[in-house]
Amino acid sequence: MTHYGMLIDVGTCAGCNACTMACKYQNATPHGTYWCKVLSGERGTYPNAVQTVLPMSCQHCSNAPCVRVCPTGASHYDENGNVQVDYGKCIGCRMCMGACPYDARSFNWFDSAEHPYYEGFEQTPYEQMRAAEHPVGVVEKCVMCHGRTEEGKEPACVQTCITKSRWFGDLDDPTSELCKKIEEMGARPLKPELGTKPSVYYAGLVD
Amino acid sequence: MKTIAKTASGLRRYPLWLYAVLAVITLVGIGAWVYQLMNGHHVTDMSNATYWGINITMFMFFVGLSAGGLIVASSAHVFNIESFKKVALPAVITSTVCICLAAGYILVDLGSIERIFQMIITPNLVSPLVWDMTVIALYLVINILDIVWIVKGDERKVAVLSRVALPVAVLVHSVTAWIFSLQIGHMWYSAIMAPIFVVSALDSGMALLLLVLIALKARGMFSFSDALMKSLAGLLAVFVAIDAYLIGCELLTMAYPGGHEAAAFTVLTTGATAPFFWFEVIGGLAIPFLILVFSGNRGNKVLVAVSSVLIVLGVLCKRIWLLFTAFISPYAEPSPMVPDYQMAQCTFSPTGFGAFYAPTPPEYLILFGVIALGALGFMVLTGLLSKPKDSE
Repeated sequence: MTHYGMLIDVGTCAGCNACTMACKYQNATPHGTYWCKVLSGERGTYPNAVQTVLPMSCQHCSNAPCVRVCPTGASHYDENGNVQVDYGKCIGCRMCMGACPYDARSFNWFDSAEHPYYEGFEQTPYEQMRAAEHPVGVVEKCVMCHGRTEEGKEPACVQTCITKSRWFGDLDDPTSELCKKIEEMGARPLKPELGTKPSVYYAGLVD
Repeated sequence: MKTIAKTASGLRRYPLWLYAVLAVITLVGIGAWVYQLMNGHHVTDMSNATYWGINITMFMFFVGLSAGGLIVASSAHVFNIESFKKVALPAVITSTVCICLAAGYILVDLGSIERIFQMIITPNLVSPLVWDMTVIALYLVINILDIVWIVKGDERKVAVLSRVALPVAVLVHSVTAWIFSLQIGHMWYSAIMAPIFVVSALDSGMALLLLVLIALKARGMFSFSDALMKSLAGLLAVFVAIDAYLIGCELLTMAYPGGHEAAAFTVLTTGATAPFFWFEVIGGLAIPFLILVFSGNRGNKVLVAVSSVLIVLGVLCKRIWLLFTAFISPYAEPSPMVPDYQMAQCTFSPTGFGAFYAPTPPEYLILFGVIALGALGFMVLTGLLSKPKDSE
């Protein structure tokens, strides 16, 4: 079995948000919706303060609370062990948004086809073309670049990372670069105590 | 011809202008809902941070309100309490209308109601929402059968049905609690949530039933003896006390460790949801209990009515603080997953919760539209089914 996963090294991440933008270009997400984002924070007190960054997206849990609570089976595991949403089944109850402990999910509050990305500007033909990918009234989130991985490419955020802080691969293959890196760097998932078994690992986290 | 005349005279028990006003509010509400369907939930003030709003608050509230009626009506037969049987019919009508309203609030909240049939075609049996749909449907069927058999006077069938109705009623409130309390990331995550929902359903439901019975008696539509009011008010005092006790247990467990859920506790007691919390504690629990605990007060119609109104409002406030405190303090611990902007400027104001959530006009119009539709249903059912000769 394949089980696609990811490793993010927070220690080398520069917080440039190139992944955020690559994700936006790749998936044409609506205004205000970020499947991938970088959260910033601070630690310590002046003069001994540092800035922290945390790239966040769907953690593609193997024991996903969102899949468990979804009433129609719209949220499901795909053939690669990742969590996907079938928009054709989603009734927009937003139960999964509450269940997700990582705030990974967004609801489509408006119809992208009728709302230009930038308010006050005309909708571009490209926006119009891709609006149908984000139907109104459903919940969506990172798809682990399903279309790209089918073609044997890496997810957009991994490919674009300027500090090479992201690795993509098969968690079920112990010989994969991903698995070796996770072991070597002592990476762990976020909130492991919740038992959600995420497929995204983080190295360099400071608690 | 005779049935038409009978129907008309039944409906005329309420003033025509009341039907007209409620019909207008209902139509405006339907209009607002259509507007929401056309534009998406963008027309509400809900967001990815506050993904549920007043519709879900009202859903919890009305599921609870429907409790009193069915529980009193079925207890009449299960525990053979003869005096309860006299109010069984208005009790079950109240219960039926409230559960329909609760289901209505879920329907108007769905983002893609056109795919609702997926709940039946491909249900995920471990989802609390599927449990909820099943149990509410069952509850509704039981209520309707109960009305039909009570009206026909089929005592044996009602007695059998009551034995099923009681556990299903408890289940309806538990499942509603589980929608919230099985979410690991929130302050709702608590095993005591289901018992709290059951008992707050009992107190608000019983309070509503008392108000309904007092009002119907005043209109001469159903009989309701003072002795029965006294015994129901006594039960109500017990429910209020148990509710207060369970909420106390929950809050102590939240606050005591200091870390963890204490953030939510702070929001609740001194933060944005504090006005609702303190109204419930003082107005919805303490004052009504202190009134109803004295047997003399329980025979006083005005005091019972005032206590009942306070209890219903208190439980409404509880639904509000329960839902929104969890959004304002999203996680048990300070978490890197919660961006700072979400925490900023969150104070209570008359319009809502600052940057978090302030319901928009369409949301209120939908809310009142659903209530008005329910009130119309209640008037039609009680008008048609009441027998004035019953009144003392």
